[in-house]
Amino acid sequence: MPGPAPTLWAASLRHFLRQPAQLALALVALAAGVATIVAVNIATASSRRALELSLRAVNGPATQVITGGPQGLDEAFYVRLFTLAPLSSEPQPEYAPVVSGYVTVRNRVMQLIGVDPFANSALEGPSDAMTAGAFGDATLAQLRRWLLEPGAVVMAAGAARQLGLRVGEPLTVDIGGVKQRATLIGLMNAAQAGDATLMLTDIAQAQEWLGLSGHLTRIDVRMPRGPAGRAALAELRRGLPAGAQLDPAAGQVQQTLDMTQAFSTNLTAMSLLALLVSALLIYGAISFTVIQRRRNIAVLRAIGATRREILTIVLTEAAALGVAGAGLGVLLGLAVGHGLVRLVSQTVNDLYYVVAVQQVALPAGTVITALAAGLGTALVASLLPALEAAGAAPQLGLRRSVLEGRATLVAGRLSWLSLAFALAAGGLIAVSHRSVFAGFTALFLLLLSVAALTPSVLRALARLASRALSGISSVGRLALEDVAASLSRTGVAVAALGMAIAAMIGVSIMVESFRVSLRHWLTDTMRADIYVAAPGPGVGRPERRIEPGVLGALLATPGVADHSASRSVVVRSSHGDIALDALLLAPGSYAGVDVTAGDPRTVWTAYAHGALLLSDSLAWRLRLRPGARLSLITASGPREFPIAAIYHEYGSGLGSAMMSLEVYRRLWRDDSITAVGLYLAPGIDAAGEIPRLQAAAGGRQALLIRSNADIRAMSLDIFDRTFIITRVLYWLAGGIAAIGLVSALLAWELDRKRDLSVLRALGLTPRGAATLVLAQTVFMGAAALLAAIPAGLIIAVVLTKVVDRRAFGWHIEMHLHGTQFLHALALTLAAALLAGLYPAWRAAVGPIAAEMREE
Amino acid sequence: MIVIRQLCRAFSEGAGVHRVLDKADASIHKGEVVAVVGRSGSGKSTLLNIVSGIDRADSGEVAIGSRIVTSMREPERTLFRRAQLGFVYQFFNLIPTLDVEENVRLALELNGMRGAAARRRSASILAEVGLGDRLHSSVDRLSGGEQQRVAIARALAHEPAVLLADEPTGNLDEETASQVLHALLSSSRARGATLIIVTHDAWLARSADRILELRDGKLVAREAPPAQKSSEAQHTRRTGFS
Repeated sequence: MPGPAPTLWAASLRHFLRQPAQLALALVALAAGVATIVAVNIATASSRRALELSLRAVNGPATQVITGGPQGLDEAFYVRLFTLAPLSSEPQPEYAPVVSGYVTVRNRVMQLIGVDPFANSALEGPSDAMTAGAFGDATLAQLRRWLLEPGAVVMAAGAARQLGLRVGEPLTVDIGGVKQRATLIGLMNAAQAGDATLMLTDIAQAQEWLGLSGHLTRIDVRMPRGPAGRAALAELRRGLPAGAQLDPAAGQVQQTLDMTQAFSTNLTAMSLLALLVSALLIYGAISFTVIQRRRNIAVLRAIGATRREILTIVLTEAAALGVAGAGLGVLLGLAVGHGLVRLVSQTVNDLYYVVAVQQVALPAGTVITALAAGLGTALVASLLPALEAAGAAPQLGLRRSVLEGRATLVAGRLSWLSLAFALAAGGLIAVSHRSVFAGFTALFLLLLSVAALTPSVLRALARLASRALSGISSVGRLALEDVAASLSRTGVAVAALGMAIAAMIGVSIMVESFRVSLRHWLTDTMRADIYVAAPGPGVGRPERRIEPGVLGALLATPGVADHSASRSVVVRSSHGDIALDALLLAPGSYAGVDVTAGDPRTVWTAYAHGALLLSDSLAWRLRLRPGARLSLITASGPREFPIAAIYHEYGSGLGSAMMSLEVYRRLWRDDSITAVGLYLAPGIDAAGEIPRLQAAAGGRQALLIRSNADIRAMSLDIFDRTFIITRVLYWLAGGIAAIGLVSALLAWELDRKRDLSVLRALGLTPRGAATLVLAQTVFMGAAALLAAIPAGLIIAVVLTKVVDRRAFGWHIEMHLHGTQFLHALALTLAAALLAGLYPAWRAAVGPIAAEMREE
Repeated sequence: MIVIRQLCRAFSEGAGVHRVLDKADASIHKGEVVAVVGRSGSGKSTLLNIVSGIDRADSGEVAIGSRIVTSMREPERTLFRRAQLGFVYQFFNLIPTLDVEENVRLALELNGMRGAAARRRSASILAEVGLGDRLHSSVDRLSGGEQQRVAIARALAHEPAVLLADEPTGNLDEETASQVLHALLSSSRARGATLIIVTHDAWLARSADRILELRDGKLVAREAPPAQKSSEAQHTRRTGFS
């Protein structure tokens, strides 16, 4: 069967070309939705890719990795490894010792890798770059410099160029605030992208700089394949010292990435919100094109165009719109993604793992997903109007009143659907206990519920307001009746706006509630007057430690009355890696720990005897309660620790465990201190004390020395930085909704310009006509806002009590603040006024006679 | 031949029901020109819609030739309509995004004629109604009379057996109406098509071979109109169009 007649396609195309503004707005709405998905994907994929590249560059072709605790592995074990395997002709395992840590060179974070060039040449790990290409044609003289020159380092040629370094030039390497002098003795040609973040040095040098003398961070292993490899692996496992772990090298990436799962899910959910809003707008745009052509479609049906032909035309239009919008969205997403990469990698660095994003990754799947999402959204959104257009009886008597009657009927039915969505959301939350996915699904159901309810709210409010104006202003009454009677034009756009505003209010309340809870928590927890910490990237990095000599000087500074001290590390547990804060609490610090579960009378005694306190996030994630036990890998092997209590903490979404510093030191044989809290003697001012403390450090270590107030402000800055992406995304969703309203009102304006001209002919002034149109658009915005406020509150409750709880284990108290509603009001007014400007201008200056003549 | 048997159609009006067609009966011969008259709201357009299959009857039957339109399913009715029927409306109902020639060609393409053949055919019939020099004009730029002649060309382009005209001159001045009526009558008669014209214009009705009045839901015959020839002579006299 042949397809639709060529002239039908021509008519379709020309209709769109005749309405370029509407076409452009629909395209922009879809493009923005798709762009959000692409941008979020690029940002998260770039961080992920950077981590993968960095681990791959560091690990090389290792099959397994042997790691120790915070203090690493005793290097004597590396020597002992060679005695494990019996002498035979079978292929033997190869081992390479590595000492690594994060350093800062000219504000750029790099991974310092200390390697043994002789051992590593066998494994072709990071030193492979050095041996094969680091020095080009390596000479004995260069190798001698590597081994003998203090501070000799090598880095990728590209990294050196970006840092403005040349071979032979000295440089300063910042390690936990301690400045070390180094010399760039050679360049390596980066074999892979991850190499650009590496700085290689001799293993002994790295041990010295990172405070790991006599220790290794890890040993890379390459096991031969086959039975010999399996036997050697079993042998190695048996020979592992207490506290050492043997893991597949490939598992490291996934384990690290798993930490950011909740964070990535949040971002994806926000990008889907933007797409959902744009889906409604595509629905609106296609509906309008169908409504505008209802007479033409009826004529076509009357002269013999089949339903299938009409359906094909409308769906093809949508598909074309979808492909064009998605294509534009991918391009826009690439641009926005570059900006988001910095925000996302900053958050990842603040909260999860150290990553230096050098390249923006665009996974092939992202483009395909985005194009499919754009096309799918456009097709799904246009299906209803297309079916409506094709299914309508081909009668030319289908007048606007009939159409609006139908729209009113649909709006009524949608109210029931709204209730069903809301009930489904409630039911889903009730039956799912821990699923974050279910939490987000409930959120989306609630948003759909708002969208479904908004047209009825708009109609009811317009009717009520119209009655209130009865006898006061006939023009005002007419304007409101017109709003109530034009649901087919305005309903979808106002629903999209309502949904975006509800999401904005909900997210905004959640963020503000979280911020206030964090502020309260910081005030309660941070009891010391001044905090001193070793600087450096990453959380729980062992190289972040206060030099013992510096620490002694700090504590001996006049004015310091007492102190608390902490060692923050990552330790291996029976549930994977966890953050451990080993604390020496000053008497005044105990009250700062808000115990939420466990017996407060016995908790500190148990703590002193080695029990753990878990943050609520960690307890939620590991499903542990007071009385349970958690196995940690100490320096002397696995050990069970009782859990004495759960405490309130907002430090990170992954949570942490708290342990007595004395117990930690004993079990992990690590005397380092990451940070101290200093309590000043009465009458001593923190601002005056800080210079004295800096003087005490005496240039030996550039420590972070901050007053209580400063560190609280810094924490809130990190918090705000974390939520910038969320805010960007919800403003984007709001922006898309605003575009939708503009598009809808343009269509509405086209449809009723004759009515407005009649009013002008009857004596309505140009200003009166413009005011009438603007009043209508502002009223629509107000209706969307009114529907969105209660919904936004419910969404905020779901976000704080369900989604955040399930994703991070946090207990967040709701805090309402005027700003949250002011933002929503600002968006609504901006959208409504922007949307009304052009129609208002047209209403004021449009040619009355010509528009009245139009049929 | 078109046979209308016991045709009923009612619309709900608030709590009540308005019967616009109440057991209407009529027979129209092949090639005959019949005017259906009646007061506003009497159901003339509804009758036309049911005959053409774009509306459904509550009961009764419409047969066109050997086909029972009222028993057909929707897709069948559409295909029957596109092949056998042509429409002319009061408000022309041209597709504004297509030019004059494309509007006519659309009807041909829907019936399977594509490409150069369709172009030649549409140009030929437009020349027949006096618009051979306006093939690629935008329909928005045509006068009312010209637009209606495009509509007539579109209705006749695929040589339908039946032509349905709903107030074809209702939106035109007297002189233009005469021209359009002439075009309609001469073109349909030349093709031997049956023409049903719905109108409340007595002068137009008199141009038909027979007048049926829709009264209280029933079709009743009115007095025979003056001879067709005299009608055409009168038209020629008034307009000078021949």
